This record gives sequence, C-alpha cells and structure tokens, in this order.
Amino acid sequence: MSGGPYNYSYIFKYIIIGDMGVGKSCLLHQFTEKKFMADCPHTIGVEFGTRIIDVCGQKIKLQIWDTAGQERFRAVTRSYYRGAAGALMVYDITRRSTYNHLSSWLSDTRNLTNPSTVIFLIGNKCDLEAQRDVTYEEASKFAEENGLMFVEASAKTGDNVEEAFLETAKKIYQSIQDGRLDLNAAESGVQHKPSTPGRNNLSNDNQANKDNCSC
Amino acid sequence: MLSVHQDVLQIIQAKFSSFEIVKSVHLNVSILGEYWSEQHHILAVVAYHSNSALFLFSSKKPKPFHLSDLIIEAVIPIDENFECLSDPIPGEHNYLLFVVRYRKVSFEFRIKIGPESSNFASEIVKSKERFLSEESDKRWLLKYTDLYNSLENTELKSQLDDIPFIRQKMAQNQNSINRDSMLKYQLKLKEPEFTQYQEFTLFIGTWNVNGQLPSISLKPWLSSDDDPPDLYAVGFQEIDLSKEAFLFNDTPREAEWEKMVLDGVHPKAKYRTVALTRLVGIQLIVLINTKHYQYIRNIAVDTVGTGLLGKMGNKGGVAIRLELHNTSLCFVNSHLAAHVEEFERRNQDYKDINARINFRKYPTAIKDHDQVYWLGDLNYRITELTTSQVKTLLIRNEMAALLRADQLNQQKERGNVLLDYNEADITFPPTYKYDLNSDTFDTSEKARPPAWTDRILFRGKGIYQLAYRSHMELRISDHKPVSAIFKSEISVINQAKYRKVHEELLKRMDKLENEFLPQVTVDQTEVKFDLVKFREPQFRDIIIANTGQVPAEFEFIKKLDEQSYCKDWLRITPYCGTVNPGEKCDVRLEVNLESDLTELDDILVLHLNGGKDMFIIVSGKGQKSSFTTSMSALCRAPMPIMNLSEIQWKKIVALEGEVLYSIPRELWLLVDHLYKYGLAVRDLFESNSTQESFVKIRDWLDFGSTEPLPGSVETIAETLLIFLSYTKEPVIPFHLHDVAIAASSNYQSCKNIINQKLPDIHRNVFLYICMFLQELLRHSNENGYDAKTLASLFGEILLRDPIRNSKPQASRENLVSFIIF
Repeated sequence: MSGGPYNYSYIFKYIIIGDMGVGKSCLLHQFTEKKFMADCPHTIGVEFGTRIIDVCGQKIKLQIWDTAGQERFRAVTRSYYRGAAGALMVYDITRRSTYNHLSSWLSDTRNLTNPSTVIFLIGNKCDLEAQRDVTYEEASKFAEENGLMFVEASAKTGDNVEEAFLETAKKIYQSIQDGRLDLNAAESGVQHKPSTPGRNNLSNDNQANKDNCSC
Repeated sequence: MLSVHQDVLQIIQAKFSSFEIVKSVHLNVSILGEYWSEQHHILAVVAYHSNSALFLFSSKKPKPFHLSDLIIEAVIPIDENFECLSDPIPGEHNYLLFVVRYRKVSFEFRIKIGPESSNFASEIVKSKERFLSEESDKRWLLKYTDLYNSLENTELKSQLDDIPFIRQKMAQNQNSINRDSMLKYQLKLKEPEFTQYQEFTLFIGTWNVNGQLPSISLKPWLSSDDDPPDLYAVGFQEIDLSKEAFLFNDTPREAEWEKMVLDGVHPKAKYRTVALTRLVGIQLIVLINTKHYQYIRNIAVDTVGTGLLGKMGNKGGVAIRLELHNTSLCFVNSHLAAHVEEFERRNQDYKDINARINFRKYPTAIKDHDQVYWLGDLNYRITELTTSQVKTLLIRNEMAALLRADQLNQQKERGNVLLDYNEADITFPPTYKYDLNSDTFDTSEKARPPAWTDRILFRGKGIYQLAYRSHMELRISDHKPVSAIFKSEISVINQAKYRKVHEELLKRMDKLENEFLPQVTVDQTEVKFDLVKFREPQFRDIIIANTGQVPAEFEFIKKLDEQSYCKDWLRITPYCGTVNPGEKCDVRLEVNLESDLTELDDILVLHLNGGKDMFIIVSGKGQKSSFTTSMSALCRAPMPIMNLSEIQWKKIVALEGEVLYSIPRELWLLVDHLYKYGLAVRDLFESNSTQESFVKIRDWLDFGSTEPLPGSVETIAETLLIFLSYTKEPVIPFHLHDVAIAASSNYQSCKNIINQKLPDIHRNVFLYICMFLQELLRHSNENGYDAKTLASLFGEILLRDPIRNSKPQASRENLVSFIIF
C-alpha cells in the first residue's frame, strides 16, 4: 500500500479565479465544508482551504487558494497562479459581464501557469435558472474552443461542485500517469510527498527585508 | 495525602472548577511513543464528586508558573474501563514504566521512582476504588474536550464516546504523521462500528517429549475432536537434549516434529504453517486452516533463554505473535526451571520471559496483545505431599486436595506468576512423571511425586475454553501431552462499514484541519492617509486579532516582481510576528513622503504561515512641495508653488515657459537668510531641530508669507541641507555622477564639468552654494568650520548617488573642495 491507508500520496495546488461576486469562496466552502455560506463577504486576500480526496484509489490532498476577484487586486493575485496544478475559472451564469471577462482570466492563467495546468471552467449559480444571462451552449462552446473542462454548478445547492474539484484532480492525476506532468518541475503544483503548506513564496527571492525594519 | 508539588497543584487547580479537585500531580513525565514531542508533561488526578479522571498536560516549562503554561493533552476517566500497571524499565533502575489503558487506548509514561510516584499511584488506586462504589458519569469531562464542541451533529452520546480524549496534535503543527496517528486512534475508538466478532476454534497443545524421536503419530493428540480447529498452536519441550542442540541451537528434530504435526492435524481441514520458532529444545508451531491464511498479518517471533547463567536456551520461552483479522494473538511456549523446590526460579523465569520477549515492531510486548495463550512445561510441582499421598489421593479421585497443593495454583494466587491469566479446571491426572511407554507413574528409585507440569493458560477477552485434557495414549515420553480447545472471539472487519467509518473520519479531520488553519481578522483592510506632506510622517495602527484556534504567525510578504513587501514611503512595524489565539497585535503603518508622488497606493499582503493571505489597501494623496520639485521648474515659478494654478503648475513641471530666476527662489531665501544671520554662528549645521519647526519653514517657502522666515538659523541651515538633498535632480545631475567621480582627482577636469556640462541652472546653484561656502570659511574663526568639513557635508548632497544611501566617498569632497578654493 503506497503511503499506507492513512496517508496521502500527492498534494495538488489549486487556484480559484474569476470576477468579483461569482461565488468563488462559496464554491470552496461548499467543497470543504459541504455547506452553503450565505452572505459571504468579499474576499480581500486569498483564502486557503484543504481537503483530502480519493482519485483512482490514491489519496490526494488538495490545497486550494481562493483569490480575491476585485479588479484592483488583479496585479497581486497574479502572484498566486504560479505553481497551480489546477485552476478553477468561475463566472456567474446570471451576469454576462463575468462571462465576458473570461478571456482575460484565461490569458492570465495561460501566461502564469504551466502548459500542463488543468483549467476547469465553472458556470456558477446554475440554481438561478430564471435569471440566466449566459446559455449553457455558449459557455460550452467557449470551453471547447479553448480546451477547457466545463460544468455549470451551484455553490448553493452543491450541484456539480464536488465533480468540478474531483474531475480536475483526475485530469491532473492522469497527466502524472502519462508523464505529461513533470513532478520534478518546480512549478508543477504537485508534490509527491506530504508536506505542510508553508510560506507562499510570491516571488523567487526570499523576503527582502527593508533595511529600516527590525523584527 | 497531598501531592509533593503543592505550588504546581495550585496552578493546575486554577484550570478547574471548585467542585473539581486536583488530588495529585506528577511532574516530569515522559511519554513513550513516537508521536509525542519533547515537551514537558504533567499528570494530574482530578476528582469530581465520586468520579475521577487522569489529565495529561503539556507544559511550556518543566514546572509551570501559570495556568497559561498548560495545555490539556489527554483526558482519561478513571472508571471501570481504566486500567493501570507499572513495569520496571530494563536498565533504568530509577525509572518506572507506568502504563495506562482505557479500552483500546494506551499510554506509556516513564516516571521516576520516588515519593512523588508512589503518592501519585496511591491516589490513582484510591480514585479507582472510590469509583467502584458509584456510578460513572463522564459528562463533567466534556468541557475539557472542547475541540469537539464545535462539531455539529454531535450529540452528547457520541461526544461521550470521544472520551478518553486526546488533543489533536495537528493543532500545533500540520504534520501528516500526527494526522495519521490521530486517524489510527479514532479508528480504534470507532472499531465496534465496523467490526463484528466471529468465533474461531483454537487448539493449543503442549508436550515435553523428553528428547525422544518423533516416532509415533500425533493424531490421538491433535485430531481427537470431531470438528477441525481453525488454528493450532503446538508447543514442544526437550525435542533434542543433545549437546549440539544446546550449544549450536541447531537440530534436525525441528523439521521432523513439524512434519509430525502437519501429518497429525485434523483430516477434515487443510492447514499450513504460519510460523515456527525454536530455542534449543523449546519449539512452537502455529498452523492455520488455509481458508483463514489470507487474514493473518504482522507475524513476528522472539525467543528468550532463562537457563544456564539466566540466558541459555535449555530453559526459557519462545513466542509467536500475529494478527488474525483485527485481533492480535500471542502464543508463548515456555519451559521453566526444574526441580520441586525451585518454584521461585520458575516465577522469575516467567517474569524474564514476559519482560524480555520483544517483537520489535507491532505491539512489542506479550501483554500488549488482545489474546495471549501461555503453554508449556511450567514445571510447577505438588508440594507438601509425599508420592504415596499423591497417588492415594489420585486413586480416591480427590483432585481438589491435590490441586490445592499445586505450586502453580499457589504461586498464581499469591500474584507471583501468570497474574491475569486464566486456567480451566484440571480434570486429568498429572502429566508427569511416567515410566516410558506406560501409563504408570515413575517407578524408579527417585519415585518423583506426580505433577501437573504441563499447562495451558490464557488471558484476554472473549475466550471460552471447551476442553482441557491430557492424552494418555502417547507414551514415548515421561510426560503426557496436554491440549486445550478454545472458542475465541476474533474481531472481523466489515470492509463496507470500515470504509464508511474511514471516510467519515477523513471528512471530519479535513473539517478539523480547516478549522485549525490559522485565522485572524484585521480591523481595517483599507487604510487611508490624509494629505501626506513632505517629510511629515503620519501613521495608522491596524489591529491583527487571532480569531482562530492556533497561534497565527503573520508576515507581510512581497508581491511578484517587487523588491520589498511595501513601497519605500511606507514602513510597517512589526512586519512579522505571532499572535496567540484570542490575542491581538497592533501593527503600525507609517508614511513618510520624500518624493514628488501625488498618489500613494500600495496593496500589502499579510500572509499567515500555513494559512490564508489578506490584502490591505493603503492609499493617500501626496502634497507637492518645492523640496521635491526640480530646480529647473522652480526657476520658472513666479510665486510660491502652492499659489500656482493647476495649469501653471503643470506648465512649470513640464519645464515650459520662461526661466524667471537664475537659481530657485526658495534656495535664495534660505541662503540669503543664512548669509545675513548665520555666517558667524558656531556649528551652524549641527542643529537638531524639531519636526514642527521644519514644517513651518517648508510651508513658509511653499505657500509664501509676509511674515519673516520662521525658525532659528540652525533650523534654516538644516532646511537648506534638506532642500539640496531632495531636489528632484541633484545639483550634479545623476547622468554626470560617474563622470564627476572620475574627474574628482583633477582640478581642471572638475572645472570643465562644472563649466561645460552642467545645465545652466544647476551650474548657477553650484557656484552660488560654493560662494556661500567661501563666505562661511571666511568666518571660520567664529563658526568653527574648515574647508574639509564643509566639503564633506555638501559633497554628498550636491553629488548624490543615483542609488540612495550609498556611502559618501572621499571623491565627493574633492570636487567641492577644489571649487571652494
């Protein structure tokens, strides 16, 4: 038994990105806590969540970074893309503007992650069918054209939330099995041995202490 | 009796309510096992009415000074499930192994032998006695298992199931090992939910073969029952009495007897050997019905010699341990010291075997197994009766009288041997000593009294003995073989239920792990500064409050492609630190504007080690100032810059429009003032003026005023230095910096640079300053300045390094000193 029945064999790093208010934090919360978080405040920063899942008999620990969606944080949240094995790109099916911005989110993701990073498109709030502003077909076509995996999900009802996270992991795991994902690459977003979520190095160098700071 | 450490007892008492009395404490407890860190541990017995519990604390210090030094690590109720025992630690005479068991949870503590340990032990015994007369109520302990309170859907009942409670180590460091041990522990607790008992038939046999060759079938012994057993544990003693066997522990008899056993097992089932172990003549074989073989795991064997010198293998014990399904079994075959009077040696041999058998992995000791079967030629005899008396009693079938005289029964009753072991009633005649090939007791001259030397005992739960007998038909030895049949409950895992429990636990641990991520709140995520003015610092305090359950290590970290964690106009103190749960930390953000920035914006990333990041937006407006405006622009300003219209300002900054002055008006005002009032002032530039007085002069220059220039000449002299230090371009522009440095050793080159390369306004300023310095030197006697001092003072200002704060060089002095003379 590799790693024993209690252990996990891999750590996958995920990021969740998309416009403000599309429900990124609610998706994370639904996934880790199996609960809908009503009145979720805007994320000002990057939330961190973790869960162990089972993929093809392997225990995998997901470390999920849920980023702030506000435009003014865009420059800062770009720092978190590096080393993500999976990117969940979220829009709100009831707000077309959030869908229209996808190409910009996608280009950030492509520029800042590895070619092997699995990008999963999630059309959130599919429980609000009456207010739908983006058709399934349209988004599905966008996903296909850009080679993304895609589901419509609801953080409120939990529909397809589990699936999105698990399918992403499955795809990553396949990439490892196929050898497409090089575990030794520094930014693969996958660790083969358990470790702690340490300091998130936002840039290559270690902390440059300001000379006037004492700590 | 009160505890030895009265002061510590009081500190610990502070952790409890007045109804919960700390009865006794024990300091400096170390915990055996790999999962515990090198912390200081303290045990305490706490009573609540008639109930008591054992608390394990970790302490920051060997001896705690305050209750905040203590963390509750485990809570173990002292009730009917509570067992404790102490064992000596081989090689450590001053220490004792103190083992606490509660159902399937067990702790091993290493404590020093002394008054503290004996007081403590007696308190535990008292607590246990006190409990026995009353009913168990564990509810008072719930509040000390606070970690579970946060879990939803947990009814009181299931919470009570979580007692004994062991704090999740993951709260302290997220380490997968801790997570594993936690999961193992929780799985153990939940075992009843996914296991069921299944009865297995065990055949245990023992025979001292007196060195005889394996020449007869063992069927009458091993397969005398109708139904085949599931498992055989067959022990022999004295299979080889030769010197070679003794010295080299090697004998062909081993394989021969194994074959005899395999040939002799019950014909209605197929068996295979699980393990075989031997020490000289003491041999033990465990066989299993092949259909169960796949459920056997973790097989280990060990042997212990207690013979000659207390070590040799002519006497001793051999043991096999294994797990059948989910139950751990241990079989021990021992051949203890001989001779009627040597019962104390036998007791000691037993103790040695018990202490020295070590399976290394798995549970290492005999006592750690769910079920133990102890068999062998234990060699205990019948005392106090002569051979003829024994024989007479046997003929009269007065077994009770005989068994009372049995040394094993006597020693066991006194607690000297095989304590906790059970033995079925003996209904068969003594198995020793017979004339060979007969059923007649020893007729030799020695005429040894018959004895039940060959015995089978057991310990553990769910063991029911069906038979205990000897087998007279096997006559080749002076002993008769003995066998016992047990129906033993083996815990069998229901895989589907196990998976379900396992999944649930994993989920619960994920949830706990997320709850144990560091959590803080910051009282403001947007920090706005008022209008920020040149060299007039402002600060705002933000409060980082730890709202989580673990200490939060925070640190402001760099963003991608940035040199530092904040802009150069901002300063954060402290920029990293640790906040304990429930506590707060003030962090001061201080702005000090020393450039011409008008929009101040920064996003700070507050990182929690092992957790989330938060963003803090810092913003403010910078006010323009003549100090940070270029000299070329200032020379175009017709009035103080704050009085300029927005259009005028933009124009002069773009260096459009007429040059109105040959040097900036502000510079002239400062220098002129010093020329009039300061030339003769001693140590003119040594001022330590206040922030306030500088601000007044700055505003006087930037806004203009009809009032006279405020402040002392020293303050004004300092302001002049500041003015020259911050002009957008230094007097020697940055692009000429290196050329100027290179030329500094040569007067003519310097002169050329000044005359030919400097822009007009800069040259004017340079010469103007030099003339002023010459005036100062003319008053050296009064002001105390010599050329070298002034040159070094102004050199590094006029000729600024493009990189701030780099060290002034001697060459800077030269450049100025050449000019002054």
